[in-house]
Amino acid sequence: MPEPTNDLIEKIKQLIITRLKLVDMTPEMIETDASLFGGGLGLDSIDALELVLGLEKEFGVVIPDAEVGKKVFQSVRTMAQYVLEQTQAV
Amino acid sequence: MISKGKIAFCFSGQLRERLMLEDLHPLRKDPHFKKWTERASLVTQFDLLNFSLKGEEAETGFNLKLQISTYLLSMIHFHRLRTAGWVPDILAEHSMGIYAALAASEAITFEEGLFITESIGRLLEREGTLRRGGLAGIIGLPLGEIEKICHDLNGHHLSIANYNGSMQFVLSGEEEGVEKAISLALSRKAISASRLSFDTALHSPSLLSLREEIQDILKDIEIRPPKFPILNHWTVTPLRREEVKDFLSQEIGRPVYWDRCVERLIQEGVTQFIEVGQEATLTKLIRWIHREAEAFSAGEHLHFPPCPSELVSEST
Repeated sequence: MPEPTNDLIEKIKQLIITRLKLVDMTPEMIETDASLFGGGLGLDSIDALELVLGLEKEFGVVIPDAEVGKKVFQSVRTMAQYVLEQTQAV
Repeated sequence: MISKGKIAFCFSGQLRERLMLEDLHPLRKDPHFKKWTERASLVTQFDLLNFSLKGEEAETGFNLKLQISTYLLSMIHFHRLRTAGWVPDILAEHSMGIYAALAASEAITFEEGLFITESIGRLLEREGTLRRGGLAGIIGLPLGEIEKICHDLNGHHLSIANYNGSMQFVLSGEEEGVEKAISLALSRKAISASRLSFDTALHSPSLLSLREEIQDILKDIEIRPPKFPILNHWTVTPLRREEVKDFLSQEIGRPVYWDRCVERLIQEGVTQFIEVGQEATLTKLIRWIHREAEAFSAGEHLHFPPCPSELVSEST
């Protein structure tokens, strides 16, 4: 599994804040390994679709289905790892 | 001078989950919480605080209790907003949010709204035991795919219950059909497909059979002219006083067109949407439908931002 840089982690956090309009949050407030759905940030499936589009728009990577989505949206780190995998695979 | 757009108060349907009102929850200190839960206790045996602390998903009548909780919390947040100076230009509602919207507009009283919520909730509960149904939220597939799923599972009486925005739909129908629709949606690359907490085929034509019983529930209630207009999501025009009973008797058997409701509000000049409820489901859907929309949920704010109309008067 490739290890994402701090810069990429920061960009993913910023993407979450911007796409979901979490106006009271800063990247430092989001833990890199905390779960995004349910507990942790408490996101839901509507948020997931926002993040799918966000990843596509910002990084050009596609989440093809729910199965991949579940793995990718576990945490900021798994999102960053997926971006890295997909962009390096080209 | 700050330009002022219109303000829409949006009343959400059934809560997704029970609100946990533990001792330190800020809502418990709010005078409106005390006032409206006490007033409710005079006419219903339902106790919001008790349910919020002890209610279990498996218990009898869980959905009915969620529906009454939704109504009470919407009314509490409505009065919190009004006390903070927020005045709506128009009200919108999603699904069973209509009961609180009607009470907020004073077309019915708080007690009448509670009575309607509880009575229709009991009908739905009975329906769920006679003909078990369900709802599935399907996210990430376009309308054509959703229609195809309904078509491909022809025989399970599936229909679209909520048009919540592009790629945001809710399907309704027989329980087995709903489960199959979820599997099919996931195999066709939905981002998410899952059951919602309902055991009836809400907003499907099968519930139009309850129309007469609902009219009977409403027969002694006098509908007054709404103080704030309520947008009818079928016609996207304000709901007229004489239409209210018909609307209520059909509402649970017809789809919710939330997407066209939001689009109409934007056309009408609404720039600020406030979800008058505990969760932020409508808030997220509004932003999904219109990315630039200003939206927040009352339930997420201990203190509200100042009302734009007050800023206008201060600056002029």
